[in-house]
Amino acid sequence: MRSLQPEIQYATLSQQGETAQLGMWVFIATETLFFGALIFTYFIYRDAYPKEFAEAGKDAVLWCGSVNVGLLLTSSLTMVLAIDAAADGRRRHLKNWLLATAGLGIAFVCVKGVEWCLDFAHHDVPSINFIMKPAEALAGELFWVFYFIATPLHALHLLIGLGLILYMLWRVRRGDLTPAYYAPLEVVGLYWSFVDTVWIFLYPCIYLVGRS
Amino acid sequence: MKSGAKHEPALLYVIAWLVLVLLTGVSLWTAFLGLGMYAPVVEFGIAATQAAIIFILFMRLKGPPSLKWLFAGSGFLWLLFLYGLSTTDYATRQGWPS
Repeated sequence: MRSLQPEIQYATLSQQGETAQLGMWVFIATETLFFGALIFTYFIYRDAYPKEFAEAGKDAVLWCGSVNVGLLLTSSLTMVLAIDAAADGRRRHLKNWLLATAGLGIAFVCVKGVEWCLDFAHHDVPSINFIMKPAEALAGELFWVFYFIATPLHALHLLIGLGLILYMLWRVRRGDLTPAYYAPLEVVGLYWSFVDTVWIFLYPCIYLVGRS
Repeated sequence: MKSGAKHEPALLYVIAWLVLVLLTGVSLWTAFLGLGMYAPVVEFGIAATQAAIIFILFMRLKGPPSLKWLFAGSGFLWLLFLYGLSTTDYATRQGWPS
C-alpha cells in the first residue's frame, strides 16, 4: 500500500474526496438534463400519437429489456458492496465485487446486442430496413427513432462505466485504493448507479408502452 | 477516502435490491392490467420510487457531506424548469400535432 498525500490544493484527503464526490454530482445534474430532455421529447410524441406508439412498442423485445433491468440493478448492488469492501480494507472482496459488476455490465451489453439483432430482423431500424406496420402508421417510426437514439446513448454511457471499472481494478492491483482514500471508486460508483437509473426510466418508455 | 460516511449494513443493500427487483416486477405486471391512461402514471411513479431508493442508498445521498443534496437537487430543479416551461409551450400550441 502506498502512502497517499492530498493534492496541493486540499488540506486533507477527506476534503479532496468530498470535492470529487460533489464534482460527480454536478456532472450527474448535467446528465439528468441530457437524458431528461430526451425523455421529454418521447412524452410529447407519445402524447400526440398514443395509439401509434403503443402499436410500435409491441415490437420491443420485452424479455431483453426486463433481463437488463435485473442485470443493472444487481450491478448497482455489487458496486456498493465493492465500495464497502474498499472502506473496510477487504481487498480480495473489493476485487471480486468489481469483477462481478463488470461481468454484469458486459452481460447487459451482450443482451442489448442480441436485442438490436432481433430489432433488425423484425425490420424495426429506421432509415436502414424499417417496414411500417399498418396499425402504427407513420408516427410508429418516431418510436423507433427514439429507441435507436436512447439505447445506443445509454449503451455508450455503460461502456464508459465499464472502462472506469477496469481502471479501478487496475488501481486496486496497484494498491491505490485503501481505507484511507477510496474516493475514485465512490465517484465511479455514483456514475454507475446513475446509468442504472437512466435505464429504469427507459424501461417503461420502450418496453411497457405497448403492453396495456 | 475516509469520507466520514458511516456505511449501511450489507443486509440493508440486499433488502433494497430485493425491493427494486420486486418493483420492476410490479411495473411489468401493471403494464398488462389495461390501466389505459393511468398506466404511464403508475409505471413512471414506480420508476421514480426505484430511482429514489438508488439515489438515497446506493448513491449514498444519505450521509455526509450534506452539500450533496444541494448538488443533486439542482439537477432536478433545472429538469423541473425544462419540463414545466416546455409543457406549457406544447399545451398552448394550436393544432398540435399538425
